[in-house]
Amino acid sequence: MGLKPATNPDVEAATIELSIDGKSVTAKDGVSLYDVIAMTGKIIPAMCYHYTFDPFGSCGMCLVMQEGKKAPVRSCTAKAAAGMVIRTEGEDLFLARKKAVEKHLSVHPLDCPVCDADGHCELQDMAFQHGVTNLANAKQKFIPEDTRSPVLDFNMNRCIACAECINVCKDVLMIDALQFMKKGGFNQVVAKGDLALDCEFCGDCLAVCPVGAITNKFSKYLYKPWQMKTTTTTCNYCGDGCQLYLETKDEEVVRVTSPLSWKNKWGDRSETAKGHGGLCVRGRFGFEYLDSKSRLTQPLVREGGQLVQKPWLETMHLLVERLTEIKSKYGADAIGGLVTARCTNEELYLFQKLMRAGFGTNQLDSSARYGHMNFVLASKRAVGLGRTPNDWEDLTKAKTIILIGSNITETNPLTAVRIKEAIRVYKAQVVTLDGAITNIAKLASHPFLIKPGTEGAVIDGLVKATIDQDLVDEEIVAKHPHAFEALNSAVENVSLERLAAQTGLPVEAFREIAAIFAESPRSIILCGEGIVRRTNGYQNVLKLMDLAWITGKLGRAGCGVNTVTEEPNEQGAVDMGAAPEFFPGQARFDDQGVRDRFAKAWETSLPPVGSGAHLIEILKRCKSGQIKALYILGENPLATLPASMEVRAALERLELLVVQDPFLTDTGELAHFVLPACTYTEKDGTFTNLEGRVLRVRQAMDPLGESLPDWHIMTALANAMGCRWEYQSANDIQAEIMKLLPGYYNLGQPRKVVPIPDQYLSDGYTAEVKARYQQTPPSGEHTRPFSLLMGQLLVHSGKLSTQASGLIKIAPNTGKLRMNIRDMERLGLQDGAKVRVTSNRGSLQLGVQPDQSIAPGTCFFPEHFNEPPVKDLMPVSVDATTGVPSFKQIWVSVEQA
Amino acid sequence: MAFEDQRTTVYKINPEHPESESLPTLRTEELLLNMGPQHPSTHGVLKVILELEGERLVKSTPVMGYLHRGVEKLAEDGTYHQFIPHTDRLDYVCAMYNNFAYCRAVEKLLKLQVPERAEYLRTIVAEVQRIIGHQFWLSAQALDIGAMTVFFYCFRDREILLDWFDELCGARLTTSWYRIGGVERDLTPSLIDKLKQFLNYFPPKIDEYQVFLERNRIWLGRTKGVAVISAEDAVNFGLSGPVLRGSGVDYDLRKYEPYSAYPKCEFNVPVGKNGDTYDRYWIRVMELYESVKIIRQCLEQMQEGPIMADVPSVTLPPKERVFTNLESMIQQFKLFSQGFDAPPGEIYCGTEAHKGELGFYIVSTGGGKPYRLKIRAPSFVHMGAFDHMARGYMISDACTIFGTYDVVMGECDR
Amino acid sequence: MSVAALTKKILHAALFYEIWDAMKVTFRHMLHRPMTFQYPREQRTIPDAHRGALGLLRYDDGRERCVGCDLCEVACPSHCIKVISAEDTARPLQRYASEFYIDITKCVFCGYCVEACPVNALAMTKMYEYSTHDKRSLLFDKKRLYDIGERHLDDGKKYLYAHNQEKNVEQSREYRYYFPQSVQKSTQPSPKHLS
Repeated sequence: MGLKPATNPDVEAATIELSIDGKSVTAKDGVSLYDVIAMTGKIIPAMCYHYTFDPFGSCGMCLVMQEGKKAPVRSCTAKAAAGMVIRTEGEDLFLARKKAVEKHLSVHPLDCPVCDADGHCELQDMAFQHGVTNLANAKQKFIPEDTRSPVLDFNMNRCIACAECINVCKDVLMIDALQFMKKGGFNQVVAKGDLALDCEFCGDCLAVCPVGAITNKFSKYLYKPWQMKTTTTTCNYCGDGCQLYLETKDEEVVRVTSPLSWKNKWGDRSETAKGHGGLCVRGRFGFEYLDSKSRLTQPLVREGGQLVQKPWLETMHLLVERLTEIKSKYGADAIGGLVTARCTNEELYLFQKLMRAGFGTNQLDSSARYGHMNFVLASKRAVGLGRTPNDWEDLTKAKTIILIGSNITETNPLTAVRIKEAIRVYKAQVVTLDGAITNIAKLASHPFLIKPGTEGAVIDGLVKATIDQDLVDEEIVAKHPHAFEALNSAVENVSLERLAAQTGLPVEAFREIAAIFAESPRSIILCGEGIVRRTNGYQNVLKLMDLAWITGKLGRAGCGVNTVTEEPNEQGAVDMGAAPEFFPGQARFDDQGVRDRFAKAWETSLPPVGSGAHLIEILKRCKSGQIKALYILGENPLATLPASMEVRAALERLELLVVQDPFLTDTGELAHFVLPACTYTEKDGTFTNLEGRVLRVRQAMDPLGESLPDWHIMTALANAMGCRWEYQSANDIQAEIMKLLPGYYNLGQPRKVVPIPDQYLSDGYTAEVKARYQQTPPSGEHTRPFSLLMGQLLVHSGKLSTQASGLIKIAPNTGKLRMNIRDMERLGLQDGAKVRVTSNRGSLQLGVQPDQSIAPGTCFFPEHFNEPPVKDLMPVSVDATTGVPSFKQIWVSVEQA
Repeated sequence: MAFEDQRTTVYKINPEHPESESLPTLRTEELLLNMGPQHPSTHGVLKVILELEGERLVKSTPVMGYLHRGVEKLAEDGTYHQFIPHTDRLDYVCAMYNNFAYCRAVEKLLKLQVPERAEYLRTIVAEVQRIIGHQFWLSAQALDIGAMTVFFYCFRDREILLDWFDELCGARLTTSWYRIGGVERDLTPSLIDKLKQFLNYFPPKIDEYQVFLERNRIWLGRTKGVAVISAEDAVNFGLSGPVLRGSGVDYDLRKYEPYSAYPKCEFNVPVGKNGDTYDRYWIRVMELYESVKIIRQCLEQMQEGPIMADVPSVTLPPKERVFTNLESMIQQFKLFSQGFDAPPGEIYCGTEAHKGELGFYIVSTGGGKPYRLKIRAPSFVHMGAFDHMARGYMISDACTIFGTYDVVMGECDR
Repeated sequence: MSVAALTKKILHAALFYEIWDAMKVTFRHMLHRPMTFQYPREQRTIPDAHRGALGLLRYDDGRERCVGCDLCEVACPSHCIKVISAEDTARPLQRYASEFYIDITKCVFCGYCVEACPVNALAMTKMYEYSTHDKRSLLFDKKRLYDIGERHLDDGKKYLYAHNQEKNVEQSREYRYYFPQSVQKSTQPSPKHLS
């Protein structure tokens, strides 16, 4: 709600009473009068107001009469006060509003026929509603269109100077990329400093623009609203699970719009806490891969070293023949499967059922293994809950947030907006601990730069500092004195000074962070890829649990240890049992009771306990020849894992490689069978986002060419292999999941679970805690001066987004190493100079470019691109407990080539 | 062919006759006859299942729906404005009247005042359409009964008016000339001249048609006393228009709920006595004279003025303003893409078309599209009385009875 | 009834007098010129307002009038128009219809598209003879529509004039729609109607 009632979510604003159109209304003190009126169900026009930011008051439409005042007042900027008597309707107000519209119209160009906003334009609506005719003195602006930005065009002839774009950028997203500038006699919106717009390109300014002043370059002039079909669905780029409107024209995706728009301008602060409805650059502009020309439309079969197009029926006959042959020759254990977490829950469920019940093997894994599994297993071990305990609302209302190893504005932009909201509205203290200069660090109250790869050491230091400063919640630890004692002795040898040297974080900082965290009533830890995707991820999450436990934050409402996920349905992949250790519902695979239940439900015998294999193990078994056939659904290990994993050798050894994907991936090119699958726009289903919310995915288009939804292909395959599956639609699968996992689809907002670490603390904790804090001495690799990191860019997500031409236009593969400018100066490198990067695994020659977000002593290459193959420089270390491979960081030397 | 079903009754001729015992029995049965849907006199695609006893009609069941196109449903899909061309295709013989009735209903919903000149224009064109309709009916009815010449002469004169329509709005049949709030195009001087010429030319031609029929004994024989319906029954069946007036009920919406420019004109409503086909024929011919009278009066009384209401939220702006004025441009775009915002409510508005009362019932929940639109088509209502009116007549009268309603299946099936 | 009248009536009945009466009318028509004409050899004169096949028009300087605003598409009651609009590569920042289809088999010739068009790019012509053996050729594409518009330019302009869409030819320049979005330089003089 505009004009926030309080900066502290704990303090309620006073309730006041006022009269609107003769009716008595209660409201909170200090709220915008506009919102109070909107709450009564009366919508008065306003063109510059939106509830997500503070009122600006430029359009002059929201006029109301206040008793005791001669002239009408603007209701948006007026604060509701006790005893106000307000009239919202009447001829005088109508005429005053009409005058305001006329003012805007008189300098508006005759652009409706060519304007993209036509039919979705507030100015049009207002002019029509107020019956404006015969304007006198209409004049036009002749401002050249600003087309410098790669994403948005600014046509300031159409601008009505409502400043919604500027306000949403400044207030909600805290990016502040736009400003007003007086040019050519008119106030115009320009990018900061009148340069080409260069921001996060979330496009929220586009969404709130009530006219067509800001237009989307990727769909410019391609549509009018009446031509399009709108489908509400869930974004499939990251784990935030944003809702979006996919607007399609026949078989073509024209644009993506967000629930955030000038149309829903009234709301409540409690609604923004759950998400303001905006999107990020990927969601809004990354839709072009959906109807891309490079989509697979026909099954491909390898014939004489070539992939040849074949009809479905023939392909399936051949495939089933080969599969049955392998199964009968080598047994079920010769088959393995990998699935991507970009599939829907239904498909993930079906995949593991196909592997376990259809093929009879437990050698299956999903891409949640790349990192999220570390968190799930650690969290399940510690508190018995395999997902994040806090939702977005908790995050917004937190008093302290520790962001560790997470460049959250890049990986999960909309979760980042929740943190921004916490900073802006509730004045939360945010501690960032990262090896790069992240955007969120610029907004945080306590930004700290640490040396890359030392996140684990930082946590050691925090635990130590907490105990040292006696910040421990005595009451909580007193319940488990043995456990606390064990922890105490484990951290005894930890020296903050040594850690300070190792991590680059001063000793006082450890103490300060520990104090902030422990003393705040609601503190949340958010660990990102810097924890879960790196070495010792599992242990590091457990250490964070320790930290939360001793400060009494484990189990308290609004507190907890959380993570973010990179792919849309990583949580769903774990929940649906697409992992060798889990059944659907995260039931353990070796639990006999559960095994019996599923064996009965699926009417089959299950593969034996202990036969399962996770991703790395599957690849190993492929290489050793134990696995003869691999069924890869949307996953692309060849392009993801470094060369040291020898994925190519492993895949080439297979007798049968089946790849099912919308695109012909690197892995697909090695395959014997490539089955064309649909993207998420062509099928129904659900995603489970990082909060654990189950979100619907709806079909917007017919499948492209002869591609089919994954569940359809899997059902056909299973039936050909002798199962008797009768799924006619994704709904049938859902019905089955509902039967097996009661309540999963009813979640909506996931049920709050109070994490209880008692079991964990009393059972084996003392034994394992010691090893956790044994400080690993800085490895010998440190002989090389630079830390090379691979990670995500804001604009991209995995390899998928590189198929979206728009996103590639925004962030093409520069093929260059990103370095801090000071490092470059030190090495005497110019922008674009060639360097040789050498790691213990080899060396590589590539260009270099400065990047201000890179910390000194580090260099960065985006993980989305394999050209040049920087990933091959990486070593792989596999977590002993969870089998998560980490391959995102290495020490390298950089020299001019 | 012998049908052995329960309808078959076997009895002997003259059972009292002593010799009948030795005579072979003669089987008689009711005959079920499908008339249509491709019979030329069924005016489109109507099928009637006739139950015959000999040549007598015992029961007749009209089977409708062969021309069903879901027009009422189509209305829910488009804006109010977009439905006007669909109304052309209801009674495709007299599109103008459908336009008129529909526009009147929407205007009643919107409480929209139509400019005076537009009201006169509407009346003139509606009466021209009435002339066309009655000519068409007369020719078709005469042809059905076997008089071909009248058909030619009627069509000759009808052609003049259709060409007049062509010049007026660009189409001879599917006119879409009426607009919500007025009419699309004004009468040009040339059109007025042509109409005046026609008005002088036409009354003698009506006499000419009458020469062929009025005293023709075949015509009289086929129409007098055929398909008689009493005034009471006619009212009970919901008949309207000439069919109702033929039975002596003096009911005409133009008089009883005067609309448009009718209250300003003087005209008679011919009423019949016997309620037979001949009376209905006579009423229609008399109405031709009355229509000429009304058009004459309108042409005299009509003053210069606007032809469209100027309500920016409903009616389109003049085109020249669209090119130069933003507010008119916005009006144009809004009205075409979303339509005007009709107030929520229900409305029924009946209009006296040449067939009878053509009514439109509109349910609006607000917004640019009707929530539901129901058409009270006279042809459909009249078909309900078919069985009642045909019972006991000869099979050859069936054609006469179809014709006497002036049934057009496009309107009946919708 | 008097005897004379009765006699007359009987006489009329016996002699089929009413038939002779009617025959008199019929025979009189033998002296008239026939009302019909021989169609392919003789053509109807078609009024200006006639709603025939649709054509797309150009301005006098040869530029396409259509800006691809798709309003005709939404105005069409039978959904027979499909416009695919795009940015004109030849003239950046200009919208135009890259493809334009009218399924003339679905068209109901109501003229709403012309009425809707904010630039008077569409006009109905007097062309009505386009029957064909191949139904597919009745999907008029952009090229065909411009061809029709060119060949029947006068008809189109007369149509627009007759339906109050445009003043007559001399004045039609005044009716030209100006494109403010085409401004590349801020120095461009404002159009005449605005100054």
